[in-house]
Amino acid sequence: MRVLIIEDEARIARRLQRMANDFFEQNSTVSICDSVQKGIAFLEQNEIDLLLLDLNLNGENGFDLLESVVSRSFHTVIVSANADRAIKAFEYGVLDFVPKPFDETRLNQAFKRITSNTKTTDEQLKYLAVKKAGNIRLIDLDELLYIKGAGIYSELHLRNGKQELHDKSLESLAQLLPPAFERIHKSYLVSLALAEKIIIEPGSKYSLQLKNGAQLPIGRSKYKELKEKII
Amino acid sequence: MAVCLFSSCRQEINFKSGDPVFKQGDNPSWAKKDFDAKGWTTERGNTGDNIFWVRAKVNLAEKPVGLLGLKLEAFGAFDVYWDGQLIGKNGKVVSSEAEVPGTATSYYPIPDTLATLGNHVIALRASQSSYQQTQRSVGIYLNTYESLIKAPLVATSFMHLMAGAFLIAAIYYLFLFINSRKRQYTVLIFAVICLLFFALLILEYIKFYVEIPYTHFFLRLESIGWLTFTLSILVPLYFAIQFKFRWKKMFLLLLFAILIAIYVLNFRHYDITAIYYSLVMWIGSGIVVFYGIFKRERGAIIVLIGLFLRILLNEYLYYDMSLFISFAIIVLCMLYLHTIQMKVVENDYHSSLLLSSKLQLELIKKNIQPHFIKNTLTSLMDWVEESPKEGSAFIQALADEFDIMNNIAEQVLIPIRQEIELCKKHISVMQFRKEINYQWEEHGIDENENIPPALLHTILENGITHSSPLDDGTMKFKLTFITEANYKQYVFETFGHNRVKIKERDGGNGFTYIKARLTESFGNNWELTSAESSNGWLTTIKIYTK
Repeated sequence: MRVLIIEDEARIARRLQRMANDFFEQNSTVSICDSVQKGIAFLEQNEIDLLLLDLNLNGENGFDLLESVVSRSFHTVIVSANADRAIKAFEYGVLDFVPKPFDETRLNQAFKRITSNTKTTDEQLKYLAVKKAGNIRLIDLDELLYIKGAGIYSELHLRNGKQELHDKSLESLAQLLPPAFERIHKSYLVSLALAEKIIIEPGSKYSLQLKNGAQLPIGRSKYKELKEKII
Repeated sequence: MAVCLFSSCRQEINFKSGDPVFKQGDNPSWAKKDFDAKGWTTERGNTGDNIFWVRAKVNLAEKPVGLLGLKLEAFGAFDVYWDGQLIGKNGKVVSSEAEVPGTATSYYPIPDTLATLGNHVIALRASQSSYQQTQRSVGIYLNTYESLIKAPLVATSFMHLMAGAFLIAAIYYLFLFINSRKRQYTVLIFAVICLLFFALLILEYIKFYVEIPYTHFFLRLESIGWLTFTLSILVPLYFAIQFKFRWKKMFLLLLFAILIAIYVLNFRHYDITAIYYSLVMWIGSGIVVFYGIFKRERGAIIVLIGLFLRILLNEYLYYDMSLFISFAIIVLCMLYLHTIQMKVVENDYHSSLLLSSKLQLELIKKNIQPHFIKNTLTSLMDWVEESPKEGSAFIQALADEFDIMNNIAEQVLIPIRQEIELCKKHISVMQFRKEINYQWEEHGIDENENIPPALLHTILENGITHSSPLDDGTMKFKLTFITEANYKQYVFETFGHNRVKIKERDGGNGFTYIKARLTESFGNNWELTSAESSNGWLTTIKIYTK
């Protein structure tokens, strides 16, 4: 597990580092950056799996950084004193928000989310940030029709017919998206609110028809569960 | 009300009076009705200390209801004859003894038996040993005796009512000026204007109830003239101050020059001088008021309306009356302006109180704002878990900083030593958090100096936030104090690397706090500079002492 800590308080950074090392044990490399600039530079050079980010860094607003990091493939956990900004952080698509001061139990809880596939947060993601021509664009979840997995990336299919590429895998997005989004196939994530009906085709092939007419395949193992949810 | 009052006072009865004729000499038969005044002159001429006679014809076309009365406006001392009958005396005419001067205006009842319709002759046996050169004509008016006596007193009572109000205003504003913490000269000017206006009203109407011998007649007019003169400068000046008129000095000089010119050109023409004076005042105020309207000053429109009311009054009222009433209106406008001014002052005061409590709150918030307290607590947790001994030292340092904060929270100025202590405590707290070796240095501190609370503390916080330590892991803060002839100065230096900023560093909330605190204690007599230096960051607070 490759972890980056962006935190300007040396003592807290070391505490995070120690706890991350303890949790992930073997194969973990934990790096520390004490400013936004150093963090950005580090991310340009290195691939990571998890970012622990403070929102107030040397007077700089960590939210400026948040938009660009949530578009990346890794998960982000916010560790911040400003608990009042948790909701906004979740809207942008962070995996967890750990308010300061924190103990080991609370931080480990956040770490566990990375490895588990269950959604544990009640807070709702509102936007998906995608990188496009060097800029970050926030896509409202309401614009989203369905998400198709494409290897380590995901394709966001929008209601206006356009497509965007997201750096996170379908698995990672599934951890962030609200419960209404259902994995109907190993390569498809869709909001059930948009589902029209299930079509059964010959050869026990199933597909889901969306309200706009599009048809998406349903995984054989997912069919039963889905049928109950739709009817 | 005043308009009604004055139209009713002027109820005239129907009479005509001929021009008076004069003759030097003394002959009792000159009083007779049928005497032929052939060869008498229309001017008194040079009568010196001698006795002279005046004769004038009047025609009574309508018999009044009640007793007929005669009003004479003439200089000197005289005996008054109506168709040869002595009806009264004014002073004592020169004879063997010196003259006892009569009053310039005098009233005589005329017995019913003499007040018949038709022609009558009024004859005066007179002397004018003072103002011998003054060729003043004799004014003759008939009315019912009651009206002659009563009407001026009715007018006087109303005008005195007004005068009383202005006297109270004058006293009130004078006290206000004396007792207010911030001496506002507009208040004093206003008090003086009210007082002068009171004096003007009293002097104008004093003639109806105080017997002024004709020898002192001009004293009153002269006084009224100078009062009007002063008011004609003060009123435009007041407006000029209130409406922040730009060319005040030049404007005042010009006003003064014009008024002096009027005085010289119309020397001894008291009424016309007063009219011109008040006209200058009116035009001068008008110019300033238009300037005020142009500059969108509050109350300017109201004053303009007040000024225009004068034109209206001039149309309907006798000169004296319109002058005084329009004057009163102008003073009322000033009073209105003044209350606007008071409201502004009051608002300023309230907002300064509000600001002070806001700053207090800001100070208290420093140590409970989440970024400070949560980060401190997190570090503290770590210290306690990892090395309890250091942890308790950390808690002690934090408690000390809170103690000082608590002590200074409600102060506006605190001793410099206390501020430095606060900074040092903050440094020791931050040392536990940041694990940077912070150093403090001070030079030339004057222990008797005071400084607004948490000023240096705020600069220190900025330094800790925006700088990273030098390569040897240290960061130094240096405070230097110097006193010069006209200012004292704190220089706060941060020795460290300045962090690269995503956005321009402007000091943010911290600087707003520092500036507000400096203004609170030193008004506009301070200067704050903050800039990058070769060593790190340099902040200078300059406080002017002169």
